[in-house]
Amino acid sequence: MVKKTIEEINERIRRGDAVVVTAEEMVEIVKSKGAVAAAKEVDVVTTGTFGAMCSSGAWLNFGHADPPIKMQRVWLNDVEAYTGVAAVDAYIGAAQLSETRGFDYGGGHVIEDLVRGEEIHVRALAYGTDCYPRRELETTITIHDLNQAVLLNPRNAHQRYVAATNSRKETIYTYMGTLLPEFRNVTFAGTGELSPLNKDPTYRTIGTGTRIFIGGAQGYVVWEGTQHDPKRELGTLMTVGDLKEMSPRYLRGANIHRYGTSLFVGIGIPIPILDEDLARTAGRSNEEIKIDLLDYGVPRRDRPVLKQLTYAELWEGKIELNGREVPVSPLSSLKVAREIAEKLKELIERGEFSLTAPVRQLPVDMEFRPMKQPTRIITAGAVMTREVVVGRPEDPITKAARIFAEKNFDHLPIVDDENRVIGIVTSWDIAVSVGKGKQKLSEIMTRQVITAREDEPIDAVARKLDKFGISGVPVVDARGRLRGIVTSDDISKLIGGGRK
Amino acid sequence: MTRRILLRYSAEKAAEPVLASVIKETGVLVNILYADMDTKGGEILISVKDSDAERIFSALSKRGIEFQEIKDAIRVDWDSCVHCGACVSLCPTKALYLKEDASLGLDEQKCVLCEICVPACPVRALKIPRL
Ligand code: SF4
Ligand code: SF4
Repeated sequence: MVKKTIEEINERIRRGDAVVVTAEEMVEIVKSKGAVAAAKEVDVVTTGTFGAMCSSGAWLNFGHADPPIKMQRVWLNDVEAYTGVAAVDAYIGAAQLSETRGFDYGGGHVIEDLVRGEEIHVRALAYGTDCYPRRELETTITIHDLNQAVLLNPRNAHQRYVAATNSRKETIYTYMGTLLPEFRNVTFAGTGELSPLNKDPTYRTIGTGTRIFIGGAQGYVVWEGTQHDPKRELGTLMTVGDLKEMSPRYLRGANIHRYGTSLFVGIGIPIPILDEDLARTAGRSNEEIKIDLLDYGVPRRDRPVLKQLTYAELWEGKIELNGREVPVSPLSSLKVAREIAEKLKELIERGEFSLTAPVRQLPVDMEFRPMKQPTRIITAGAVMTREVVVGRPEDPITKAARIFAEKNFDHLPIVDDENRVIGIVTSWDIAVSVGKGKQKLSEIMTRQVITAREDEPIDAVARKLDKFGISGVPVVDARGRLRGIVTSDDISKLIGGGRK
Repeated sequence: MTRRILLRYSAEKAAEPVLASVIKETGVLVNILYADMDTKGGEILISVKDSDAERIFSALSKRGIEFQEIKDAIRVDWDSCVHCGACVSLCPTKALYLKEDASLGLDEQKCVLCEICVPACPVRALKIPRL
């Protein structure tokens, strides 16, 4: 039995003879020599990850102005920071959007600009008190003008993440990136065998007080991260580090197209190899680390798992899905993650980074629970009109015109023999077809029909109407057969009727 | 020097052996860089020798095929790129890909300047060339 202590390993680091390898190197060592030999040989395994982590942000302290102000609201380059604490403290969150530049600039970019030493425009408002009389303030600062600039991230370094694809007929824009229609691409996050928590999945050596590499500086693990879900191997970390020591190489503002802004955070954690068990877990390979492929086309909390994959399969750059080859995008940078693991290795070898034992273990038995919601979810099936007048592709246009004139609606789904929706005609289509010599509905119908499913929450349907600028959608079952129709009127009635 | 031509097929043209007959007629060696075709039509990106380009253009026009010469490729700002790979699965021609060492690669020959990748880059490292 190999048994080492962190003190012993630190002593070796001080003497300059500790054996340090990256997590990828460890995978090879354990594969070829086994965990026992690996535990004897290796003292420290370095890990790395570099991905967009929205649950990140920084605490800033501006110092007092004269006359002083108790900031009630504050903006940095037009991105609002949270100031519901003492007078001149504020938290700038990575995902907060600029009020003037929208999706193009957000909190993540403010943090990157601070790290780059750029000038930041600060604007603040206050109600004024006897001790803080000032009500408005405008100034320009750089990171050097701040008393503290501390990166404090509530949730980083997910142990594993998910892979995403999209069953819908249209492209969707998600925090998992741009997902093409009908399963045409897959994206995934996490660095697999390089990812810190995968290498010590019961958190024996990673806990409160563990010294880590973060954003190019040395920082610490504070606590388990929010949504920490150890039972499902979905642990997370809350991390902290001094923004003033960080580098834009490992901390980058990000735009997730039509989703929002975020922050790429580089994190590396050293795993001391205290015994064979740790050697074994630190040697876990991409083949052994599973990841679920979810359908983000389903706008629900519990998205269906389409397939279970491994990180090894995803790093191949393509997977097979429904008999087709589908290209894969990672969203975390393997290249920078490797660079971080290498850099951490060098720091330890040079004696510039020593290990710390956690002063509090992370929980291994808690669960991540869903939100307690006061309302039940209203689905398209519950509000749709079930009696729908339909047309056939071969019907004359005049028939549709008559229907629209007689009944008070303006969407006519066109169905085939099996009641499957193959098109839709609106009163507008009829109006513009006049005098064009067209006869049949098939000549004027829209064939790319946006539809909803019966179990789709009404919020998701409303979002569809909004996104495509349409006023109604046919509701279909799994095989595309017409079940009803939901219009924007149905939805506004619902909202007007007081959704409690 | 080679020149790159993007052919666009309608559903009707997709059913005809257009490219084969162009090759047969002109005798030009055509290199197919990328093809995405089904019964609804599609696109084919070819490259030909500079000296053959005019003959190919006229053979294509004769057959009523829509085409466009692609003279440039997307630019990667290598100082900004973080090699996250978000762009690669969106690229229809696989012009963007991840190399063995996990860094981003761009095969300029294959780029059809569709610009799909541009907004998807989280650090805005992909730029449309301004001619
Ligand atoms: S999405 Fe942008 S940063 Fe990521 S690999 Fe492509 S060009 Fe580089
Ligand atoms: S412009 Fe289109 S073809 Fe060119 S690299 Fe980007 S996605 Fe690929």
